[in-house]
Amino acid sequence: VKSIFAEAFERPQLLLKKKLVQLNWPFLMVITSITLVGVIALYSVAGGSLDPWASRHVARYCIGLALLFAIVLVDIRWWLRAAYPLYFVALILLALVIVIGVESGGAKRWLGWGEFSFQPSEMMKIALVLAIARYYQWLSPRQVSWLWAVIPPLLMIGIPVVLALDQPDLGTAALFGIVGGGLLFLAGVSWLYFLGGLAAVIAVLPHVWEKLHDYQRERILTFLDPERDPSGSGYHILQSKIAIGSGGFAGKGLMQGTQTQLNFLPEKHTDFIFTMFSEEMGFIGAAVLLALYLIALGFITYMALRCRSTFPRLVAAGMGLCLFAYVFINVAMVTGLVPVVGVPLPLVSYGGTSMLTMMVGLGFVLNAHVNRMVLIRREELGPFW
Amino acid sequence: VDVKLKPPEYYAALLRRLAPRPSLKRIVSTAMWGPDGKPDPAVRLRQRFSRRAVLIGAAQTGLFGLLLWRLRQLQILDSSEYRLLSDENRMSSLLTAPARGTIYDRIGRIIAEDEENFRVIVIPAFCKDLNATLDAVSRIVPVSAADRDRVKRAARRQSGYFPVLVTEGLTWRQFTLLSVLAPQLAGVRTDRATYRRYRHADSVAHVVGYVGMADKTEVAEDPIMRVPGFRTGKSGIEKGLDRELRGAPGTISYEVDAHGRVVRELGATPSVRGKDLVLTIDQELQAFALKRIEGLRVASVVVLDVITGGIVVMASYPTFDPNEISFKPDPRKWAELARNRDHPLENRALRGQYPPGSTFKVVTALAGLETGVITPRERMSCPGSYVFGRRTFRCWKRHGGGIDLHEAIKQSCDVYFYETVKRVGIDRLAVTSRALGLGQIFDFGLAGQKHGIVPDTAWKKARFHQPWYPGETISCGIGQGYVSATPIQLAVATARIATGLAVVPRLVLPADGEIVPPPPLELDPVHLELVRAGMIGVVNEKGGTAVRSALPLPDVQMAGKTGTSQVISAKNQHKLKGWEGETHALFIAYAPVGAPRYAAACVVEHGGGGSRAAAPVVRDVMTEILLRDPSTRPASMASNQASAAAAEGPHQ
Repeated sequence: VKSIFAEAFERPQLLLKKKLVQLNWPFLMVITSITLVGVIALYSVAGGSLDPWASRHVARYCIGLALLFAIVLVDIRWWLRAAYPLYFVALILLALVIVIGVESGGAKRWLGWGEFSFQPSEMMKIALVLAIARYYQWLSPRQVSWLWAVIPPLLMIGIPVVLALDQPDLGTAALFGIVGGGLLFLAGVSWLYFLGGLAAVIAVLPHVWEKLHDYQRERILTFLDPERDPSGSGYHILQSKIAIGSGGFAGKGLMQGTQTQLNFLPEKHTDFIFTMFSEEMGFIGAAVLLALYLIALGFITYMALRCRSTFPRLVAAGMGLCLFAYVFINVAMVTGLVPVVGVPLPLVSYGGTSMLTMMVGLGFVLNAHVNRMVLIRREELGPFW
Repeated sequence: VDVKLKPPEYYAALLRRLAPRPSLKRIVSTAMWGPDGKPDPAVRLRQRFSRRAVLIGAAQTGLFGLLLWRLRQLQILDSSEYRLLSDENRMSSLLTAPARGTIYDRIGRIIAEDEENFRVIVIPAFCKDLNATLDAVSRIVPVSAADRDRVKRAARRQSGYFPVLVTEGLTWRQFTLLSVLAPQLAGVRTDRATYRRYRHADSVAHVVGYVGMADKTEVAEDPIMRVPGFRTGKSGIEKGLDRELRGAPGTISYEVDAHGRVVRELGATPSVRGKDLVLTIDQELQAFALKRIEGLRVASVVVLDVITGGIVVMASYPTFDPNEISFKPDPRKWAELARNRDHPLENRALRGQYPPGSTFKVVTALAGLETGVITPRERMSCPGSYVFGRRTFRCWKRHGGGIDLHEAIKQSCDVYFYETVKRVGIDRLAVTSRALGLGQIFDFGLAGQKHGIVPDTAWKKARFHQPWYPGETISCGIGQGYVSATPIQLAVATARIATGLAVVPRLVLPADGEIVPPPPLELDPVHLELVRAGMIGVVNEKGGTAVRSALPLPDVQMAGKTGTSQVISAKNQHKLKGWEGETHALFIAYAPVGAPRYAAACVVEHGGGGSRAAAPVVRDVMTEILLRDPSTRPASMASNQASAAAAEGPHQ
């Protein structure tokens, strides 16, 4: 009796209806509210008009939502099998960018076919999480901290990081590093590796400095001292700080932000949308937005904790790390805590690629949640591949 | 029954109670033992995941706290500072030039006024590339290389936020085209300003002067001078009364975007228009006088209203057109004006210093009478020359015997005055000269007046460090030697003799119209009357030197004195040839003789004899003035009051 029950419990073939019931609807509400904040911000940036940004933002969210449901409804074991192939495809595309990428603003980041353009680094963010989760699903729990077992995931992280630095895209490289490192930590790799890694980074840092592009160095230098060049690289950060600071506690009101409405702020509808939002809505608005993100992160951590298997657990946690890294780097960047690296604010910044990536990532989180009771046996996976 | 009661083991119970109990964690993990009796590593790993996930969650919350702390720092603690910076970013205020006061003549005719002027200005700080911007502008309005240089220099010299004038005087078509394009050209603005337009320009040029761009020292004095196209008075009354005419600048604050394009106007304080001025000059008479002396090479005429002291005519020839100098000056024309040998820019009436010649004899006569060294009855004889020490001084004509004071003035006998001045002495002569207004300048709003020379021993000591030699006194008696005077001084002296009052010349009457009569001269009225009688004789009696220049009017007589002053002396006789060697012709006069109203002085440089060249000029001008005498029409004061009210009216 027990075995039959266990079999049914461990390998449930969830029906569509059951999957939808299992879905974390409150979490989706939080996600939608964050997007709504983005819509309001984009409406204001356009000077009180849905065109050209707010309406398309909504449309992209809807497409993203469809994609999210598609990902949720596919069985988790299917994704488990697809993890490595996806990772390799992403890796090849990332390498391809260096060869045939479209250059814009001194960096090759895009693959383009006519109208359609695609950023492989976005795909890699998802694929990296899946691949590492897949690896630890396969790895015997006893071997997690073995040296030979740590090397493959380090390579999985290291290769995309190097490729991203080559584009060059400091922000994405940092994101790969944070998400990958966080996943290793969550997977249970010994503290000793992290201490060693920290020591290694400190040792390597001076060499990396020499390898950096001039504009990257300039960015870091002006970050450390924004007054260095107030009309050049320091301009963005200075204007952003002025905008946020001048917003004050209550903000200047929607569409009343002089810094943004008068174009003193660069990229106000993409990377600097948080600046614009906190200028117009003030400390209160900014705190509410950050609180929404924190609630979403709490949901993700909760969902990860409830998973029985390693794969969904790590996938959910990895996507959470990704969301956190995006939000933190972006807000820290616009408030002048870290250098300007060009990372969008997830779900709020205008941009199709970033919106779709984030929705796909959240789709995987919800997929893990829906399949939280599924126990994946090591034997099911077969060999490493 | 041997019942042994054991004492209760309290201590053991206590130890049991205190002994560590298996924790919940141990219970859970014990339940999860694997089949081999060891803890299941998968379960341990899941626990480790949970621990670390909570740890990461805490770290994330902490980092969000860091962001919130940063936002608090920016938005709450330093907010006011950033708000200031943001306002600085978005606001740009411009000074607007005030309209300059209008200048009227005594009848109320406009002499100088501001007219609309369309201009292009740039704010260099907002230009991405100043050169490219200027190129773009020059596609619509030609920008000369000189203008280009000036704009670039200004952009380097001063703060980039100060607007710089590119070019002005645009046509309406150019102005509208540029105004439409300005939003696309960062830093470019069009505006409507004013420029100075002079009516009847050449006749009043020397009096009214002209305006020009402020020079360096003026800019340092007042920042309003940096307002593009702001002009200050450079000469004449425009310079002398610049402060009254200038007005106060206004400001306009604009909201600008990051490229310096104006988004909207935030507010403006209007500029305050400069005060209007009503001059005592009569433009038509001025034009008449100028036309009269036009044929002469260099000449000047001054006519004073002896009652008010107002200067009715102050003409100096050659003259210039102030319109050409004050607005878009043509460098070639300017150089031509500045280099002209006759110096058209010089106002001879104020700055020409001439030996007064025989016109000075009235002063010598007064000095003689005042000191009592001569009496009106004393007669002298004129043999045609006068010997003093080893030198012989010549008279222009042998007058014979029986020359008394009246005849001496009438016939302009040099010998009589040689003797008189010998008796008076140079220092007493100087006292009388100064009492009549010679050797001093008058503060009526025109700068650059010359003092002339009233020589005395102290003057010579200071000037040459030499004692005064008595021989030098003799030629001073007939207005030669060291003596020199300007036409305005001669006119003032004439007015003072005519009225017996210390008349002070002015160009602008007091706004309240109240004219305080000047104090009487410290001269005996009887002596003045004697001199006046002589001057009347000069024009109206047979044998008078200017008898041919009597007024052609019935019942109105003019009194005057001719003068012909030599320019050749022993020192310079070789250098001066032709025109330059000719004598200056002078004439002073007042009219009507009964109740003096106008006093005049005329100097024709190198014009020959005073009676031939200068006296007819004064006769014609005086006739014209008397014919148009505004005392029959109460224009002067009434119009002054009316315009003073009009000047204040619109700004309240």
